[in-house]
Amino acid sequence: MENVIEVKELTKEYKKFKAVDNLSFEVHEGEILGLLGPNGSGKSTTINCILSLLNFSKGSIRIFGKEMEPSAYDLKREIGVVFQDVAVFDELTIYDNIDYFCGLYIKDKTLRKKYIEDAINLVGLEDFKKFYPKQLSGGLLRRLNIACGIAHKPKLIFLDEPTVAVDPQSRNNILDGIETLRNNGATIVYTTHYMEEVEILCDRVIILDKGRIIASGTTDELKELAKIEEKVSVEVKELDEKYIEKITELKNVEDVDYENGLLIITYKKGKNNLVELIDYMKKESINYNKIFSERPTLNDVFLELTGKELRD
Amino acid sequence: MIIFKTFLKVLNKCKAPIIMYTVFLIFFGGFNMKTSDNSINFVASKPDILIVNQDKEEGITKNLIEYIENNSNIIDVEDNEEARNDALFYRDVNYIIYIPENFNKDFLENKNPKIDIKSTGDYQSSLAEMMLERYLKVAKIYKDVYSSETELIEKINDTLSKEVKITITSKLDTNKLDKAAFFYNFTNYCILAGCIYVICLILSSFKRENINKRTIISSMNYKEYNRKLLISNSLFAIVLWVFYVLLSFVLVGDIMFTSHGIIYIINSFIFTMCAVTIAFLLGTLIANKNAVNGIVNVIALGSSFLCGAFVPVEMLPDTILKVAHILPSYWFIKTNEEIKTLEILDFETLKPIIMNMGMIVIFSILFVIITNILSSRKRKIS
Repeated sequence: MENVIEVKELTKEYKKFKAVDNLSFEVHEGEILGLLGPNGSGKSTTINCILSLLNFSKGSIRIFGKEMEPSAYDLKREIGVVFQDVAVFDELTIYDNIDYFCGLYIKDKTLRKKYIEDAINLVGLEDFKKFYPKQLSGGLLRRLNIACGIAHKPKLIFLDEPTVAVDPQSRNNILDGIETLRNNGATIVYTTHYMEEVEILCDRVIILDKGRIIASGTTDELKELAKIEEKVSVEVKELDEKYIEKITELKNVEDVDYENGLLIITYKKGKNNLVELIDYMKKESINYNKIFSERPTLNDVFLELTGKELRD
Repeated sequence: MIIFKTFLKVLNKCKAPIIMYTVFLIFFGGFNMKTSDNSINFVASKPDILIVNQDKEEGITKNLIEYIENNSNIIDVEDNEEARNDALFYRDVNYIIYIPENFNKDFLENKNPKIDIKSTGDYQSSLAEMMLERYLKVAKIYKDVYSSETELIEKINDTLSKEVKITITSKLDTNKLDKAAFFYNFTNYCILAGCIYVICLILSSFKRENINKRTIISSMNYKEYNRKLLISNSLFAIVLWVFYVLLSFVLVGDIMFTSHGIIYIINSFIFTMCAVTIAFLLGTLIANKNAVNGIVNVIALGSSFLCGAFVPVEMLPDTILKVAHILPSYWFIKTNEEIKTLEILDFETLKPIIMNMGMIVIFSILFVIITNILSSRKRKIS
């Protein structure tokens, strides 16, 4: 698989502070790469360096095998960016906005017209072509923002938290659109705070913290990095201390916590943990309301690796 | 082309204020021109005179009274000195002529009778005095030649009835030049307000942080993009200027086809370009669209008042005019005022006008330099 982006030993310093520290990674053709990290982890700085919006102190960036620089207009032709903040003209209609941003890349009017229609269809704004941005809801605005960024049919797309503060309908529409873009052959770099989106969309994930890569791989590979294998939660009204001690001694149990009528048992590894727990509770006649088992999420991985929640 | 097309679409959203400024210009300009329409017409002015005749109304006395009656407004007041003094004090009369007893007889007998007068000492009383002196001088000259009273009166009347034809040698149509100066002085406000308002609004749209980012990462050369934006804004300013020039042809008339008119047009063009540079400087500084209205009022209205666009320069205090020197509007308006006094057009007479225009150009260059420094600093910071 060909590398679309090659970042080698990228370092960006602001005086003594290293925003990006010796970062190296690749983005493969046709994949969706999730870039995760808490605020200030260096995601935006990395993307801005890749896009030549920022100078960097050290390292190299190659896109489609060529050195990326501010005057690399042939490379820029192949890149589309969707920023987190909506960047459109309030004075222009939806159609005219897409026309303008597409027009920065495509001069041929006929081709542009077709591309604009495709972009409108992709994000589902067919009924709003003549609307002005102020007449749109937050979700529709985000869709317009995406359409403006990808209308020129780029081969490489950067999506910076495109689903922040959108309604479920718009979110589904946006996620479907991203799938379609990938199916059409685009390579996507995706940053988000929503783990479920990463799990649905991304082929590979890079987790950044303090400007460094702390983990990378597929979502399954990352989940294996978590120490825990399974987490079982049981709603029990009353539970004697002696039972908690006995449960701690059960096979594979890592930790037991009982608080406010909720018993949480974490297992390090193993299979049939839930079955064994239920058998034990039956044997001791412990009454419970609900019982459910969870596999570790990326958020658990993130917590494990960085010691903080992704949305901190 | 997409930049220009989008520029026009954004501009379309700003048309209301431009129409408003133009309506101001037509309304105030047209109104002022209508009220200052008589500056070239000369109307004979008649002083208010009271004649106190103590002589018999015959001969020279009668003729003098008739002459004064024909060339002034004769005022009647009560026949006592207090009433006459009051009339003089309250400016009901400008001049009182006291014809003494036996004036006719004494005059014919060469006794040089003295006519007493009382006067308010103003311009109108001077006219009355000139009238009286003229009559007496003519009468004295002819009295030595003609011995017959009838013949003497006939000759005096004949001489005094002759009118002098006055030809104005100046070719300047001061009335129309005044109109043109007023119109172009007023355009100071319209051009400044129009350019600053529209260009600042358009720049704040195009230069919004994220839109600008999208432009930088696009495949369009950023320098080319900036150049296209500059050309589009300048084109708008030129169209606005052409419109105001055409409006001046309609409102001021044929004077605009003369050399004076052309100098007015050149001056306004240089000022329009200066207004564009001011607008670009402000556009670099202002990020908030809501602030544009306030800025327009401060800059356009402020400089128009300070530099004499609305009020004649002569009426402004010296301190204000000294402060106004640091504004391009001052030099623009100064040039407009100087153009209307130009009798002959050659290098010597045009020198001060060229100097004023040069000052506007220097201001423009200064604004361009400041804009470049500020925008490069802004880029570095961001």
